[in-house]
Amino acid sequence: MELKFNATILMQMVNFLLLLVLLRLVAYKPLLKVLEERQKYVANTIAQAENQRAEAEKIKAEYEAEMRRAREQAQAIIERATKAGEEQALNIIAQAKAEAERLKEGALADIQREREKAIAELRDQVASLAILVAGKVIKEGLDVQAHERLVQDAVKEVAQLQ
Amino acid sequence: MQPVREEVIGGLQRFRRLIPIGLVLVALGLLVAGCGEGFDLEHTEHQLNFWGVPHEPWRIGPGPFWELNPNTLIWTWVAMGISLLLGIVAARGANMRRPTKLQSMFEMIFEWLRGLINEVMDPKKGAGIFLLIVTYFYFILICNLMGVVPTLEAPTADNNTTFGFALITFFMIYIWGIKYKGMKYFKHYIEPVPVFLPITIIEDLAKPLTLAFRLFGNMKGKHIMTVALLGLITGTMYWAGGFLASVVWLAFCIFISFIQAFVFAMLSIAYISMAVAEEH
Repeated sequence: MELKFNATILMQMVNFLLLLVLLRLVAYKPLLKVLEERQKYVANTIAQAENQRAEAEKIKAEYEAEMRRAREQAQAIIERATKAGEEQALNIIAQAKAEAERLKEGALADIQREREKAIAELRDQVASLAILVAGKVIKEGLDVQAHERLVQDAVKEVAQLQ
Repeated sequence: MQPVREEVIGGLQRFRRLIPIGLVLVALGLLVAGCGEGFDLEHTEHQLNFWGVPHEPWRIGPGPFWELNPNTLIWTWVAMGISLLLGIVAARGANMRRPTKLQSMFEMIFEWLRGLINEVMDPKKGAGIFLLIVTYFYFILICNLMGVVPTLEAPTADNNTTFGFALITFFMIYIWGIKYKGMKYFKHYIEPVPVFLPITIIEDLAKPLTLAFRLFGNMKGKHIMTVALLGLITGTMYWAGGFLASVVWLAFCIFISFIQAFVFAMLSIAYISMAVAEEH
């Protein structure tokens, strides 16, 4: 078998270059374009993701600061409320005590007054009784028995007054 | 009953061990028969010419040079058609978000060859030869793989094809050398002393020669081996045509096809990068 070189060699060069041009037109260009698009897309997406993450971290930090602030405020409010409540409780207790004191004083005063009234009434009735007894004594002319009876009646009447 | 049965089973088991030996003997017998019948490459090739490709060269001018090999050219056009078809199908389904299988394959080849080029030369200079290298790899691969398909022939099994491709690389070396270095490019022939001129010229000529012959030798050898295997056993391709050996060989051919396409592309990159490199 001997090697034969002929015009096929030129034809094959032409064929190859023709194929190169045609493939470049119909296949390589669109495929490379897609490849480039994807690279660009991936780069963009990565950049976007990084931006978004930075932004998210910033927002997170803000939120955390705000949360901390809110918690502190809430704590302060609770403390204030607790203090106010305690004060109010003390006030109420003091008022209650004062009220009780006042009521007690009133009651004691009432009792005193009633007692005085009763004593005054008693004194009045004893006086009138004495007058009544005196009148009877004078009316019936006193003998010993009568006197005795009289005294007994008076004591009875006094006993009835009770 | 029982001993007899065991004896039969034992006999079968002994027989089973003999099966591979028997098969090898049968294969050897067929081989000997084939060899005895005589092995004729031309004859088998003629029988394999299923598509009726003309055997006589086409004459386009006077003299033995102005002839075209119809076999090579027809299969080259078929290979071009397949390459273009695959390219068009891949490009049509091209999608940025969900690449099709063909598209991914092309993208893999692109990325891989781009990586190879950028490894050995300035990416700016390499961008110009990128598509040439991709086409080398892609088209030579298609051509080589066509040799694996029964009744088809690899266009690269013709020395005209491989020399045509190698000549393109040969010219590209000069074009790229002059493009990036100007006339200073030719200075490296006489450096460090003019005595080296014949050696550097031989070196330059050896580049396309080795490129072309490496590919041609591999593919022609593959072709001859395939045809020989088909023709060897029993002497005819129509029955028991060296099937097992042929299958093993064809599987290996796929591997060779890839390797040779890669080597051609890789060496072209290397030669062109040597021409444009800043330091020799």
